[in-house]
Amino acid sequence: MLKAVWAIARKDLRLTLARGSGLAQALLLGLLLLFVFSLSQQVGETMSPQGAAAIFWLASAFCQVLVFNMLYGLEEVNGARGGLLLMPWPVQAVWLGKSLAGLVLLLLAQAVFLPAAVVFLGQQISPLWSWALCAVLLVDVGMAALGSLLGALSQGQAARESLLGIVLFPLLAPLLLAGIRVGAGGFADALPEGVTSWLGVAAAFDALFLGAGIALFGFIYAGEE
Amino acid sequence: MLLQLHHITKIYGTRVIFKDVSLSVAPAGITLLVGANGAGKSTLLRIMAGLGRASAGRVERAVDDARLGYLGHATFLYPALTALENLAFWRDIYALPLSDGALETVLERVELARHAHERAGVFSRGMAQRLNLARVLLSDPQLLLLDEPGTGLDTRSAGLLRREIAAARERGAGVVWISHDVASDAAVADRVVALHDRRVAYDGPASAYDPERSC
Repeated sequence: MLKAVWAIARKDLRLTLARGSGLAQALLLGLLLLFVFSLSQQVGETMSPQGAAAIFWLASAFCQVLVFNMLYGLEEVNGARGGLLLMPWPVQAVWLGKSLAGLVLLLLAQAVFLPAAVVFLGQQISPLWSWALCAVLLVDVGMAALGSLLGALSQGQAARESLLGIVLFPLLAPLLLAGIRVGAGGFADALPEGVTSWLGVAAAFDALFLGAGIALFGFIYAGEE
Repeated sequence: MLLQLHHITKIYGTRVIFKDVSLSVAPAGITLLVGANGAGKSTLLRIMAGLGRASAGRVERAVDDARLGYLGHATFLYPALTALENLAFWRDIYALPLSDGALETVLERVELARHAHERAGVFSRGMAQRLNLARVLLSDPQLLLLDEPGTGLDTRSAGLLRREIAAARERGAGVVWISHDVASDAAVADRVVALHDRRVAYDGPASAYDPERSC
């Protein structure tokens, strides 16, 4: 099964990165958000680390919606979903493969958003950046697991694509809060209070979304057209 | 038996597509599935493949998922990948122990070896269908389910398709083939199953099939 997971992730990354347009759209949207928020500041004014972290995660969340719509759209062109459903492995291999590809793409996008946040929002990377990195990894795992599950829900039906954003953001709220609170430490000289608790919240929601993906993906993806 | 359908009924909303369909597929035989548009042939084939669910009845399949070949209306191809990359992807997905050289051999069988490194997105409908056939042949299927596989193929490619179907039967595979060209396809089939008026109207030897009497 792991070979199939890897094959799906590798194929998705090859199609997305080689074609370029898919990730470029998500990157541009995120960068635009960062830039627009930077205009809300007066000249010389510096945004609070927490505000900057919030905008960083907002850009990441919008990017994630586009990434998973695009990843599941790859199977819609010539009906390849049917081929994946016929594979001799549990259909969750598709969810896992897409989650993995989405996670890599999200991390790549964030590697662009982070310096953009530093430049546009007037932040500095603090010596406590390792805590923020922990938060990024933990929150991204949950975002990829949930994004992959809900991306499958929206695939193939244009009317449902808007559903992804509507359903996703309320469910992501705890993870985003954890990312903002701990992520602010990456821009500040001191860690915010309750960092370990917020990391615990992120880990708990990761476990919840991973479990939901395993339990629910089959019903969502194998539904008849 | 490779596949057995027991009293299968399919209902979409309030519309009964077919009811109480029972049939079996034996090894080394070609079954032609015929019927008018909307008779439910493709739906029945999808149920056989496991891509659709029956509203009632039971499907028994004695074939591993990896040895099931399904060729439907969709080609399952990724347009931005080359022909060889498409085959390599499906080889990995189905965990088939085939080298890249073996993939090229399959491409030669469907006369696409010259186009191995071209993107599938530039292929004509006929070439895409032949690449789709190559995908199906990768797993040396024991059960081959074909939904109008000749669509978009020129005379030469249609001949190639028939050769491959006949070769699959020689290797012991059971073939279920939806066809609209009954007159010519029945000549290579062993058996015909005709769907008419939501039921199986004929299930017998291809040589004795008379469309006028069955519909």
